Amino acid sequence: MAELELEVVAEIRRIAADELEWKGVVEPQHDLVRDLQLDSLGLTVLAVGLENRFRIRLSEEDAQGVRTVSDLAKLVVRRVASTARPPTEVRS
Amino acid sequence: MHSASGQDSSAPFIRSVGRALPPHYASQEQLIAAFRELWAKRHFNLERLEDLHRNVQVGGRYLALPIDAYPALVTFQQRNDAWIREATALGEVVVRQALERAALTPEDVDHVFFVTVTGIATPSIEARLANRLRFREDFKRTPIFGLGCVAGAAGMARAADYLRAFPTHTALVLSAELCSLTLQREDLSIPNIIASGLFGDGAACAVLRGADAPGAKGPRVVASRSVFYPDSERIMGWDVVDSGFKVVLSAKVPQLVKDHIQRNVDGFLATQGLKRGDIRHWVAHTGGPKVLESFEEALELPKDALARSWASLREVGNLSSASVLFVLGETLEQVAAKPGEYGLMMAMGPGFCAEMVLLRW
Repeated sequence: MAELELEVVAEIRRIAADELEWKGVVEPQHDLVRDLQLDSLGLTVLAVGLENRFRIRLSEEDAQGVRTVSDLAKLVVRRVASTARPPTEVRS
Repeated sequence: MHSASGQDSSAPFIRSVGRALPPHYASQEQLIAAFRELWAKRHFNLERLEDLHRNVQVGGRYLALPIDAYPALVTFQQRNDAWIREATALGEVVVRQALERAALTPEDVDHVFFVTVTGIATPSIEARLANRLRFREDFKRTPIFGLGCVAGAAGMARAADYLRAFPTHTALVLSAELCSLTLQREDLSIPNIIASGLFGDGAACAVLRGADAPGAKGPRVVASRSVFYPDSERIMGWDVVDSGFKVVLSAKVPQLVKDHIQRNVDGFLATQGLKRGDIRHWVAHTGGPKVLESFEEALELPKDALARSWASLREVGNLSSASVLFVLGETLEQVAAKPGEYGLMMAMGPGFCAEMVLLRW
């Protein structure tokens, strides 16, 4: 797992423990809803926490196909990469 | 149909409901603008937070203080002192209004049930009102703190219980909720941001009279039922912190409604020989859009059954315990209910719990 992805998983663990009162373990293969028992508010808290930590924006469309902790971590890594990319000059 | 309890001659009457909102109106967009700078201290995606505020479908709120007075409120004492002052002032308005509508005076009041969850006072607010309104020296007081949103319905139920024991008496159920004064501005958690978009300020007072009180008329409180949901303490409530009341709010509330309310309502109505179809007037606490949708879905309510609750939510937000009394007051004044028709008040609150109050016109 790439370094940034590990960092995202660590941040998900922190948010779950500190802000969502989750007392169990958090593993990459865990299903966000089934295993971590996140409801709509919990998912929002998680998304906002990741947006703040990694200075990105996540959208409803982004959430399609995100089921596990690992899916979410990969999405954040992709968003960080696309956000950090320097603007390319548009030539006509 | 008529149940045995529907014809119960000891059932107390609801005579009137007074309602008042504080004078400082702020639209949801004005509130969002005021909050943006605060949110930016911690949050990156402010559009997401704005959407959370808009999704609660509240058009605006009436605030106890002018919007620019809130940043100066930092300590619990500052917030609570403002709460005592404004809750007493608004309480006086609604008690006077309710008594006038019932053609009664403060001298006629035997018992005041005062409910709130947004501030604390000793002596409690109804005692302070006694000095302004001159209730009799033998009037009884029951201040109730901590029931939260359920307290409007629960207060009506407890007042009705009392009036069955003292059927010539008159009781007030007074609710004063100034949710804006509980707001922890530095709490930038998502539950607090949602709460700051949903909850508003207001006060309401219902006048109830026992079955043998002179001139008793209006819908009767036929029966009530409390429901406690075990092991749900963190669904809703306060964490009491140095700066005041920090909100505990779970997104599980709508699901709890969906899971339980049909069984609770059907079970309660069955004890009165009634079915859901017998209820003509639904008086639901305006918990939020998802809570109202859950009521509609779980109880399979006809379209517009909760129209007054939806309108109240849009116009003034969730007023905690005062909300269901606002909807009750609007029902009494706007609906030409026929004798024999039934109504059901419903509210839920911290515990987690629910209260149902069966009315019969």
